Amino acid sequence: MRRRITLLSVPVLTLAIFLGLYFFDNAESSNKGPVQPVRFSHKIHAGSENDQIPCQYCHSFVDVSPNPGIPSVKKCMGCHTHIAGRDVEYDFGGTTINLQQEIAKVREFWAKKEPIPWNKVNTMPNYVHFNHKRHIKRGFECAACHGDIANMDQVYQVTRLNMGFCITCHTDNAKNHEELTHLKDCLTCHY
Amino acid sequence: MSQDKKGGIKRRDFLKIIGVAGGTAAVAGACSNPAEQIIPYVIPPEGIIPGVPNWYASTCRECPAGCGIIVKNREGRAIKVEGNPKNPINVGTSCAQGQAMLQGLYNPDRIRSPLSRNDLGRLEPQGWDNAQKMLTEKIEEVRKKGGSGRIVFLSDHNEGTLGNLIGDWMSALGGKHLSYEVYSYEPLKEANRIVFGIDKIPTYNIDKTKYLLSFGADFIETWLSPTLYTRQFSEMHGYKDKSMGKFVHVEPRASLTGVSADEWVSIKPGTEAVLALGIASVIVSEGMSVNGGGGFAGLLSGYSPEKVSAVTDVPVDTIKEIAKEFSSMQPSLAIGGGIANTSTNATETLVAINILNYVAGNVGRTIDFGNALTLSEVSTFKEISSLVDSMSGGEVDLLFIYNVNPVFTLPKSLGFEDALGKVPNVVSFSSFMDETTEKANLILPDSTTLESWGDFIPDGRVHGLIQPVMTPVFNTRSTGDVILSVTAQLEGLKGRYTQVSYYDYLRDSWKQVWTSVTGGGDFEAFWNAALENGGIYRDTTPVQVSASGNISGVSFGEPEFTGDGDFYFMAYPSYKYYDGRGANKPWLQELPDAITTGVWDSWVEIHPDTAKKLGVKLGDFVKIESPYGTIETQAYVYEGIRPDTLAVMIGQGHTSYGRYAKDRGVNPLSILPVSTDKITGSFAWLTTKVKASGTGRHAQFVQTQYTTTQHDRDVAQMVTLTELEHGLHQEEHEEPDFYPPVVYDRYHWGMSIDLQKCTGCGACITACYAENNIPFVGKELVAKRRDMAWLRIDRFFEKSDNKAGFETRFLPMLCQQCNNAPCEPVCPVFATYHNPEGLNGMIYNRCVGTRYCSNNCTYSVRKFNWFSYKLPDPLNWQFNPDVTVRDKGVMEKCTFCIQRINYAKDQARDKGRDVLDGEFQVACQQSCASGAIEFGNLKDPESRVSKLSHDERGYRVLNQLNTQPNITYLKKVKWDKA
Repeated sequence: MRRRITLLSVPVLTLAIFLGLYFFDNAESSNKGPVQPVRFSHKIHAGSENDQIPCQYCHSFVDVSPNPGIPSVKKCMGCHTHIAGRDVEYDFGGTTINLQQEIAKVREFWAKKEPIPWNKVNTMPNYVHFNHKRHIKRGFECAACHGDIANMDQVYQVTRLNMGFCITCHTDNAKNHEELTHLKDCLTCHY
Repeated sequence: MSQDKKGGIKRRDFLKIIGVAGGTAAVAGACSNPAEQIIPYVIPPEGIIPGVPNWYASTCRECPAGCGIIVKNREGRAIKVEGNPKNPINVGTSCAQGQAMLQGLYNPDRIRSPLSRNDLGRLEPQGWDNAQKMLTEKIEEVRKKGGSGRIVFLSDHNEGTLGNLIGDWMSALGGKHLSYEVYSYEPLKEANRIVFGIDKIPTYNIDKTKYLLSFGADFIETWLSPTLYTRQFSEMHGYKDKSMGKFVHVEPRASLTGVSADEWVSIKPGTEAVLALGIASVIVSEGMSVNGGGGFAGLLSGYSPEKVSAVTDVPVDTIKEIAKEFSSMQPSLAIGGGIANTSTNATETLVAINILNYVAGNVGRTIDFGNALTLSEVSTFKEISSLVDSMSGGEVDLLFIYNVNPVFTLPKSLGFEDALGKVPNVVSFSSFMDETTEKANLILPDSTTLESWGDFIPDGRVHGLIQPVMTPVFNTRSTGDVILSVTAQLEGLKGRYTQVSYYDYLRDSWKQVWTSVTGGGDFEAFWNAALENGGIYRDTTPVQVSASGNISGVSFGEPEFTGDGDFYFMAYPSYKYYDGRGANKPWLQELPDAITTGVWDSWVEIHPDTAKKLGVKLGDFVKIESPYGTIETQAYVYEGIRPDTLAVMIGQGHTSYGRYAKDRGVNPLSILPVSTDKITGSFAWLTTKVKASGTGRHAQFVQTQYTTTQHDRDVAQMVTLTELEHGLHQEEHEEPDFYPPVVYDRYHWGMSIDLQKCTGCGACITACYAENNIPFVGKELVAKRRDMAWLRIDRFFEKSDNKAGFETRFLPMLCQQCNNAPCEPVCPVFATYHNPEGLNGMIYNRCVGTRYCSNNCTYSVRKFNWFSYKLPDPLNWQFNPDVTVRDKGVMEKCTFCIQRINYAKDQARDKGRDVLDGEFQVACQQSCASGAIEFGNLKDPESRVSKLSHDERGYRVLNQLNTQPNITYLKKVKWDKA
């Protein structure tokens, strides 16, 4: 009996590890993103049932620069000077937070004139030059790569942003053969 | 699966488990990225968009030429310096020194806070308030003692608001302001006063001449304004419409300027005056002079070619030929200067050159006194040496040192260092721990040009503004601010300056400029426009000059030499380090010298015959002895120097000045005597005869090119002027090819390089380092041929039938972006491939480092990262964020600044069109002062590069191998007309 368990344990363990890895790596299903210094809810700010602030209100450089831009603390305070938030419990993706207390944290950063050290959510592999501007100008929705952020509390990476993801999209969206050649050219992104 | 009786795990099982666990760890490790943070601004700075560069116009202060610069700033950091196209001096180009100013800004050895010397004699950090208080106390202490001239401010040439402020401050304190420049060209000024009655250094119009005769003026390297004159020279000497100007260079050594000449005339040091008079004499006696020699005819009659030839070692035929060409190829121009003609008779030489110009009718045509250089205003050497005297005599109590390093740049024999010891209070404003600052009691580090406000007036046309392009990297403060705030604390001077900051002071001083230029209007608009343009530019009116025939005070005597050695000793200024100030910048240290291709060191240039006599060969250490000292350095055997002359470059041999400069090479100034020019009393460089001997020691001479010949491969081609006049036979036929030709749709990037225009100055190389994050590797790795330059300049010395017996060809060599590239098919992982726009792509993250491509590259332009080169903080702040910083094990090379191409395409697409010709420049092209490099779209038949690719002089290097490069070289043109 003991011998059989030992015999079975290796393939079972191996399978378990690989399955675990598969789910772990497939971000959408399990990885719910890093915990941020302020429990900022995109759902409250941009969600369809809530404030519906357009993405570009805060990520304002997305159509003029390769970088979308992270809002400055001043921008947060632009609203939160007036909005203190309700003193209520909120279910933040499974964690209970107090809205007012979270906003108070922002005010604290502002009072100390310190930046909020956000944790990076969407990570692209190294050695890639991605230009947000070009994609926005072409008319892509933010959600095409970032998912339905407007309905996320804690934001997580939806797509793996690997080369397969990029190339599939480039191939599907090329208008003609000439454009396809350029969109599949290595030097478009790697230099 | 088996188990032993004890229940433990067997070796095989253990391995299996380890295998699974290890694999898991590897897979998991590869997928997860290290946690990164994104730090937003607290308050976003106005006008900064992350990811989009900002450009700020300013003025370069690396040498007194005062070129305009524009500085690229990304997210608050200066990352690239380029020439300002609006500035009439450099018109958008820059030199290697200018490019490298970023490595001054980010130098890891900068002084990071004020320092004061404590009781133990050590320097210790201070806060600014405390340091300024110390300075105030010192000044008050000296003022209480009374007496004038006990405070001296020694600065560099600083014409403009700061110079005025220092002058005013010194007069308020009863002190003295001296501005010291190593290369001050006093004899040039004096000679102009003697002959033309104008005590100034004029601007020369080299571009308007057809025949240029230079007596030692190294105008491509350091003379007066190198970028200006390189640009003008290229205009004059470039081949255009079946003609070009001729350039003859007279110097004991074929310098970088000399090798660009059509004829290099080797002359006995110090006899230039006689040669100039001899040429003038021939012009007059043969009736070729426009004015018959004017009042000088009598003087000139005594200089027959035969007599002149005997003195100068220049053959009679050459003298006659130069005279004929100089008078017939009008307008012509003779210029003199540089170290090569600073013997004890320097002023006489320049008087003789002025006479030559006068006789040939050049005055007023190619010499512009209306646009005089402010360099004319610097203190004389007499003033500097009398300062040294009063310092040693204990007459100076407080000495301010600003942007100068006299301990290094003055000859040791003058005794500045000892005299400095006699000054109780030495205050340095230097941002670098150089030889002089090291001896200071108080150091108040100035912010560099890129961190502070200021202005500079190099000549009559340009009033350049300097604006900070980023906040100071360290705890430094601009000297103007220090002066203002210290003065506000001084007894009786509290109200002298109403301005709180130097910025306000500068603006107030510009209000006067504004009134004089516009006569009113809106100052803010004027100021903003000046900031945007990098200053104000105005036209100057030419000044009519006439030569006075009265030169009675000038005797044209023999030069005097001290020392009883066999060799004339020439310490020549370096185009990389200038007077030594560039030596702390690793880009300049690693920039191969154009002649020797040596790096990171000094050497002595020695003629092959002399080398044989001394029994030395390349790399042997030679001992050079003068009565004032001895230096030992490696020999570079060079046929471009007279057998009786030895030459060592100025700029190396620092005993301090940071990790990159310290203990590297030798300082030739340390063995020079304090000889002076007889008339002006200015420092005379070429006055020593030295002894030389081999030491028996040998070391590898570290250089980047170990051959001087082309081995008959004809890669740097030349064509004669006569051949071109008859028309070259065009050979543009399709080579048969196994593969179908590559078809390009919209863009096909190509380059053309005009070898006739290339001077070999290396600005492009440094620009390439700066733009593409190329690491410098240091001397030890260059010795192993592991330098990382994507662009190099090959130089070849070819046998020639000219008078020098050899000619020099420079060949800028970079990736040729072959259409049929040998590197591509050998890459096992497709890391290098041909892109649809004609580029030979190099994908770093795909590269596995087999190095097959570099083995197969016809042009040896691929470089391999043998190590990860880590830059010390904050030197790495300079990195271009648009270019990958490559790591160990990766191949890299030029891709025509692909980041700039992509940026230009991106900008063009925003406008809904294609990239226009000339809309953007690649880094090397941008810096090139002679305009040798053109870049653009070969697909567009109207683009400049397209037209040049079909030029009659065009050829492709090693095209017989059917690599089909996208770079067209234009053959150098040899002057062969009689």
